[in-house]
Amino acid sequence: MNVGVAHSEVNPNTRVMNSRGIWLTYLLLTVVLHVVLLSIPFLTVPLVWTLTNVIHNLAMYLFLHTVKGTPFETPDQGKARLLTHWEQMDNGIQFTSSRKFLTISPIVLYILTSFYTKYDPTHFFINTCSLLSVLLPKLPQFHGVRVFGINKY
Amino acid sequence: MAAGQQWVLVEMVQAFYEAPAYHLILEGILILWIVRLLFFSKTYKPHETYKLTEKEKEDLIEEWQPEPLVPPVSKDHPSLNYDVVTGPPSHKIIINGKECTNFASFNFLGLLDSDRVKDKALASLKKYGVGTCGPRGFYGTFDVHLELESRLAKFMRTEEAIIYSYGFATIASAIPAYSKRGDIIFVDEAACFSIQKGLQASRSFIKYFKHNDMEDLERLLKEQELEDQKNPRKARVTRKFIVVEGLYINTADVCPLPELVRLKYKYKVRIFLEESMSFGVLGEHGKGVTEHFGVNIDDIDLISANMENAVASIGGFCCGRSFVIDHQRLSGQGYCFSASLPPMLAAAAIEALSIMEEDPEIFSVLKRRCSQVHQALQGIPGLKLVGVPFSPALHLQLERSSGCRSSDLQLLRSIVDHCLDRHVALTVARYLEKEERFMPPPSIRVVVTVEQTDEDIQKAVSCIREAASIFLR
Repeated sequence: MNVGVAHSEVNPNTRVMNSRGIWLTYLLLTVVLHVVLLSIPFLTVPLVWTLTNVIHNLAMYLFLHTVKGTPFETPDQGKARLLTHWEQMDNGIQFTSSRKFLTISPIVLYILTSFYTKYDPTHFFINTCSLLSVLLPKLPQFHGVRVFGINKY
Repeated sequence: MAAGQQWVLVEMVQAFYEAPAYHLILEGILILWIVRLLFFSKTYKPHETYKLTEKEKEDLIEEWQPEPLVPPVSKDHPSLNYDVVTGPPSHKIIINGKECTNFASFNFLGLLDSDRVKDKALASLKKYGVGTCGPRGFYGTFDVHLELESRLAKFMRTEEAIIYSYGFATIASAIPAYSKRGDIIFVDEAACFSIQKGLQASRSFIKYFKHNDMEDLERLLKEQELEDQKNPRKARVTRKFIVVEGLYINTADVCPLPELVRLKYKYKVRIFLEESMSFGVLGEHGKGVTEHFGVNIDDIDLISANMENAVASIGGFCCGRSFVIDHQRLSGQGYCFSASLPPMLAAAAIEALSIMEEDPEIFSVLKRRCSQVHQALQGIPGLKLVGVPFSPALHLQLERSSGCRSSDLQLLRSIVDHCLDRHVALTVARYLEKEERFMPPPSIRVVVTVEQTDEDIQKAVSCIREAASIFLR
């Protein structure tokens, strides 16, 4: 990446997730979210972990799998208008490092949450559902697929 | 302190040992998945897995016929027998050393050779040089550009105007700036070549309606409305446009603007109006087809015109509401990525606008001349006059086509040559035949300007009549 010069990327969404700065920011934001939740009185530790997990997954689902198009005016006549950010990443190439990173991070968070919620069945149900909502759309088999026309346009 | 934490940790580990089996199995699967992702997944691009087999490759190579770099051309190809024009193509034009009366250049108001315009352009040349060759958003903007934009906006009574450095690129960049993939454009079949290029660049769905046929347009709009009702989610993100020309360069017809505005509000579409032929021609003050029909200019979403016809400069402009026009300053490709208009041409355009503002009489003179020519060209045996009486560029088509385009053209060209010998400069309407979407029939284009006198017109018409009687028996 050239710093301080104009890039020639048609759609900056395709490579923005590849930067290590974004990875670090993402991790820091998740930690900050967790710490903020922990600092709220009356919330027990298991509840805080589940909340962290659910909020993280909701945000991920919203930004990576719901919002379509680009915030930029791209010179490709709106090629990405109907594609989510996840589908735009690396121009659709599967199993790139940033894709792997963003797939593994919610799993790690889920395992940590499971541990800190003491494998409670209610927490398990909520956390697993929210994990699946961000894992399933990431599968290559669901690339560009809109099940039941949800979020198609 | 340490005791408390240890107690929590011990409790945690205890919980892990007592965890339900289904939970641990799921976690095991997830960990296996991570391992697989990290070490056993190769990157690939979906939908591009199709590979040609060796046989298919060979077949393709076998099929391929190389085209010659320069195809064989017959000696009488029009491109090889060109006319040489010396001097400015104003009222009198020197073709092959012969002075002719010009009935071929779109110099409707005779501003091409105007001394006032030339003086201003020269003064601007001395002050600014020829320009910076930089794009407008970079280091190409001069005060004359801003002045021209505000003068154009004032002239057209719109909020804002934006100028382009090349007339053809104006509408060709304006359309793709707004209409993207998935959007729908309804367009007249007779739309000019620059509109066609804009449509192509927009990557939108194009729906052609029959030339000036509002029923056909309404049929298409109704079809679209039904489809939108079936799929309102899709309709919400689909923009719809109508693209029409004010005065059609290919047919010399005027678009039924009041009817279009009615359809616009009924079916919620946007109207883009290309006014290259009608700007500085139609209307009491030369404001174009909106003034001609008395349509409120705010009902038209975007008006685009080039300044190469009536204004007799170079470049083009778009005008409309500020939030519409401003969008082009970052997404009009022709605006962003080409060098700005040379300041002297902008100065010339400003002066031409001043002349148009000072003397609106010029437009009624032009209108009179147009109807005079329209009247005089009626009833030439073998030739059919196409166009409205107030159009300054009329088309003379063959009454009976021979069925072969090139022989028709040859016939028309011999009429043009005949007139050229008698000092009347005409031209056949030229098209890029391979690129046009709907090829207009071959025609001779007769251009009316305010500088032509009654005698000039009489002479030209009698020349055409004479030639028609010789060649079209």
